[in-house]
Amino acid sequence: MNRWLNSHLQTLKQVIARWRQHLFSNLLISLTIAVTLALPVIVYLVLTSFSHLTSTIQSDSHISVFLSSSATPTTIDSIHNILTTKEMIAQFHFVPKAEALKQLMMDSNNSNIISTLPENPLPDAFFIEPKSLASEAIEQLKNELAQLDGVEAVQVDDAWLKRLSYLLTLGQKALLVLASLLGFALFMVIGNTIRMQILTQQEEIEVSQLIGATHRFIRRPFLYAGAIYGFVGALFALIISTAVIALFNLSISALATAYQSDFSLRLPSLEVTLITCLTAIGIGLFSAYFAVAKSLFKSIQ
Amino acid sequence: MIVLDNVTKRYPGSQDVLSNASLQIEQGEMVYVTGHSGAGKSTLLKLIAAIERPSNGTVLINQQNVSKLRESALPYIRRKFGLVFQDHKLLYDRSCFHNVALPLAINGITGADAAKRIRAALDKVGLLHKEKMMPITLSGGEQQRLAIARAVVSRPSILIADEPTGHLDQTYADDILSLFSAFQQVGVTVIIATHDALTTAKQPHKVLHLNQGRLSMPEVSV
Repeated sequence: MNRWLNSHLQTLKQVIARWRQHLFSNLLISLTIAVTLALPVIVYLVLTSFSHLTSTIQSDSHISVFLSSSATPTTIDSIHNILTTKEMIAQFHFVPKAEALKQLMMDSNNSNIISTLPENPLPDAFFIEPKSLASEAIEQLKNELAQLDGVEAVQVDDAWLKRLSYLLTLGQKALLVLASLLGFALFMVIGNTIRMQILTQQEEIEVSQLIGATHRFIRRPFLYAGAIYGFVGALFALIISTAVIALFNLSISALATAYQSDFSLRLPSLEVTLITCLTAIGIGLFSAYFAVAKSLFKSIQ
Repeated sequence: MIVLDNVTKRYPGSQDVLSNASLQIEQGEMVYVTGHSGAGKSTLLKLIAAIERPSNGTVLINQQNVSKLRESALPYIRRKFGLVFQDHKLLYDRSCFHNVALPLAINGITGADAAKRIRAALDKVGLLHKEKMMPITLSGGEQQRLAIARAVVSRPSILIADEPTGHLDQTYADDILSLFSAFQQVGVTVIIATHDALTTAKQPHKVLHLNQGRLSMPEVSV
């Protein structure tokens, strides 16, 4: 165990020493990796910021149930009773037509027009706040409510949220495609870099194998190199995406204030940081493994 | 002990480089493999050192059948050997010290323990004072001795040298050969390939003569 740990430590030292020998070119390669990684990270951060926005706004959204003008107090009572039994409903309140009219009259612009009307045109209404925000559940609730006696119309005020959430779904798909393509690019960049290193160390690899080095021994420093490229690239990528998001946020917060919102794009969280680093390290290891596999010699049977 | 039984080696698209070779080498023996260039000496050494596998026949090294071992087990067999290559195969990007360190690193030996053994090996071949120098600055004879230091640093029980005196003048060659004799005297099996008509060897030794892939064992009296 001690020996095993020691040999890993030696390899790591050796790889870091080599890294520092070619510091400038290694930094350039890491920056290339970073740019490749930063793009999906930024897109992800923007998407999650917006989907967070939709979920907070959706929680204020209501289902409005308008009753027909012929609805009697008994019908209203029975609807009230049905609503209390529905598990989907967090809370609701009833606004009789008289009160609705009163609220409308409070706006002085409307009061003149309304006073000319022969009778109250407004219906009685229930305003419901649903427990779940899942659009399917809400759709189902809406259909159930529409079936009730005395209900004229059910309206869910989330049309634009729906559109936004469709857009976000599309965005998530685009992110997936982007991430896979760039992940492949990353695989190629790291793989090629490792292949170049292997070329410069071909003699060492050959001699080592002749005098009894295992494949694992040969592979180890290159795996470390791949992982280090991934890790350093990921760190740079996080710095780049943080800087870009911060730059966007300068303009966005001004825009959001104009809309009386405190919306801003999210900076990389601990989770995002970890996932970015681990993914990059994983791709680095994977592509290094493939790059080395080709240059390992096999004894001729 | 090394045993070859009816070993044939042929590379794809060529004739037999070695045909039906049988031999037995005991622990501690001094063996010369002679023959013209292209007679199959290097191939024979590679087969013994488990660098290549026979096309036919069996190669036994300490009762282990190399032909039947898995690819992944071969490196561990190779570690039993100290190899001195025809073209040295020194690494020119590092000092003498670090060249000799390579076999130890492969065996997982590093640090102070390794340094002690590396210096001992360099001392044995008379290069201790040049440990920090790069191999390219050494003379041909010194490079050969550095290669020997690398071959013996992990204390192998079998030492194999392919044309170790090939490009050296007589005094250097004698130096090298007496080095090998010294190892043989402490119980190391030494196998040397050479195309020179033998030789200056003073110890009793066995000769394996190769002619176009065919092995013969002429009697040698010393």
